[in-house]
Amino acid sequence: MSDGDDTPQRAGFLSTVRAVLWSFAGVRKRRDYNQDASSLNPVHVIIAGIFAAVVFVLSIVLVVRFVVSQ
Amino acid sequence: MSSIAHDPTHGHEHDHHAHHPSGVMRWITTTNHKDIGSLYLWFSFIMFLAGGVMALTIRAELFQPGLQIVQPEFFNQLTTMHGLVMVFGAIMPAFVGFANWQIPLMIGAPDMAFARMNNWSFWLLPVAAILLMGSFLAPGGASAAGWTLYAPLSVQMGMGMDMLIFAVHIMGASSIMGAINIVTTILNMRAPGMTLMKMPLFCWTWLITAYLLIAVMPVLAGAVTMLLTDRHFGTSFFNAAGGGDPVLYQHVFWFFGHPEVYIMILPAFGIVSQIIPTFSRKPLFGYASMVYATSSIAILSFIVWAHHMFTTGMPAAGQLFFMYATMLIAVPTGVKVFNWVATMWKGSMTFETPMLFAVGFIFVFTMGGFTGLICAITPIDIQIQDTYYVVAHFHYVLVAGSLFAIFAGTYYWLPKWTGHMYDEGLGRLHFWASIIFFNITFFPMHFLGLAGMPRRIPDYALQFADFNAIATVGAFGFGLSQLIFLAAVLKCVKGGQRRPQRSGTVRTDSSGPCPRQRPTIPSKLHRLSSKRCWLTGGPPWTGDQTSAPR
Ligand code: HEM
Ligand SMILES: [Cu+2]
Repeated sequence: MSDGDDTPQRAGFLSTVRAVLWSFAGVRKRRDYNQDASSLNPVHVIIAGIFAAVVFVLSIVLVVRFVVSQ
Repeated sequence: MSSIAHDPTHGHEHDHHAHHPSGVMRWITTTNHKDIGSLYLWFSFIMFLAGGVMALTIRAELFQPGLQIVQPEFFNQLTTMHGLVMVFGAIMPAFVGFANWQIPLMIGAPDMAFARMNNWSFWLLPVAAILLMGSFLAPGGASAAGWTLYAPLSVQMGMGMDMLIFAVHIMGASSIMGAINIVTTILNMRAPGMTLMKMPLFCWTWLITAYLLIAVMPVLAGAVTMLLTDRHFGTSFFNAAGGGDPVLYQHVFWFFGHPEVYIMILPAFGIVSQIIPTFSRKPLFGYASMVYATSSIAILSFIVWAHHMFTTGMPAAGQLFFMYATMLIAVPTGVKVFNWVATMWKGSMTFETPMLFAVGFIFVFTMGGFTGLICAITPIDIQIQDTYYVVAHFHYVLVAGSLFAIFAGTYYWLPKWTGHMYDEGLGRLHFWASIIFFNITFFPMHFLGLAGMPRRIPDYALQFADFNAIATVGAFGFGLSQLIFLAAVLKCVKGGQRRPQRSGTVRTDSSGPCPRQRPTIPSKLHRLSSKRCWLTGGPPWTGDQTSAPR
């Protein structure tokens, strides 16, 4: 999970989503977390969180449709 | 400087200067977060005893097959009211009591954000409790529809049901106001330098719990209001004859109900996360992970509600969806358990009463989590739904989870609240009696459920007799053990040994309790004293220990 990005000031879309996805599993490396804490924007995190929850629901729906179609 | 902050007499003088009403008016008019915290805690203890008496009556009836002690109608009222009193009267107010006492101290705020609303949120509760308990005296008795108040049964009950509906409205209003208060306090009133990610974990878990409360209490209010209009104003939300659907009630109720179970466990996670590091003498492993895990549990708790409804005739796709979603939510919960274990790993642990209860919590709550996973597997749940297996599951998570955390937190912070040390011997006795009798009571219920004994029945087939007798003996033991708790708390409140100097663990260089009221304007002194209060109530490494004044 180490990315070569060395500029922690502004978090891009991807790193916000990445932080949120890790949070769904409930784990976060200390170094990544420190980077989050300094660079993430709380509003973006909330938007990304809702977005990720919708994606999460849709992916379970997809898996379910795949299973019932067997 | 330090003498001013420490000296308990000074604290008293300060109180007198402020011209507080005394006697009972002090408690009725109080806007002090500590007074209100104590009120919440005593209220919840009284409700705990009331709910406990109902539980013991239920267990006495179930001691033997056949009907001996109560009529079946009254038995159903008891199971209903036991559940409601414990959930809304005992567990939830206790956590709000902890929040009132600890959050302002932990974040260095002078009081809660809306001090008068705080008073109002508390004093609504006794009103609701009187309505609730008074409904036993209504014609037809209290509601007997089960704590979930399923339609159509709840559309048929007598006046006791209406009293219950209003009590739920009032308690809901109280919870929402309490939650708004907590959110505002945490977001707006942290001392300079106390960033969100530096807050003790208890504050985090309560912040997230408060959002859950604001989100779902209105849903519950909506559900019971629909019941009310169905009962009296000719609507047919839940009446199939009028075009409604009784299953709609279950969806609305559980959309509230599942987040509600997390409302009852997240603050417990917070308390345990304060205690485990202190008595392991190590910082909490994975603080950030804990915050993230709590947030994701909160979000995911909204998409699993129908795991309570697998037997209502859902399409297979729906069953699979809710089964998968429920099993995934166990991942962040498991992460928390691993974090606690990792915190204890290679720590120099000691087992004072708070730690005993916290470790007991981890052990027994995990068992409850696993039976939850078993209930989440649809084909299994279709067998065990509405049996004693489910009763065992939710008592493992609620009694050994939430209630044990409440005990742990009480012993942990009682010295801070009162300035006296609790009696360690009584505390340990309380722990061992509780955990042993708890398991004697509820472990056999797994077997009863697997063997097919339905829940909410006053009589049962002969083959269930032995395990029921064991459970009843355990229940009376558990109930009596709680008198040890009362004795320990009273002894500590009345006086006794001064708070000890446990150097290296908790900073206890102030000899008295935190002064009742701290200055409202955050001065340098105030910041120091609140920091000290916070240090003495929280883990030592989170503050700047070396520079804290002696
Ligand atoms: C690993 C986490 C958990 C899972 C997977 C889980 C799963 C379930 C499932 C599937 C049921 C429905 C059983 C049935 O009615 O047939 C259930 C019931 C219940 N659970 Fe959990 N649960 C979990 C944690 C908790 C927690 C933390 C609490 C509360 C502190 C809780 C409280 C309850 C209650 C009160 C009921 C019974 C409601 C009723 O029908 O009266 N559960 N759980
Ligand atoms: Cu649930």
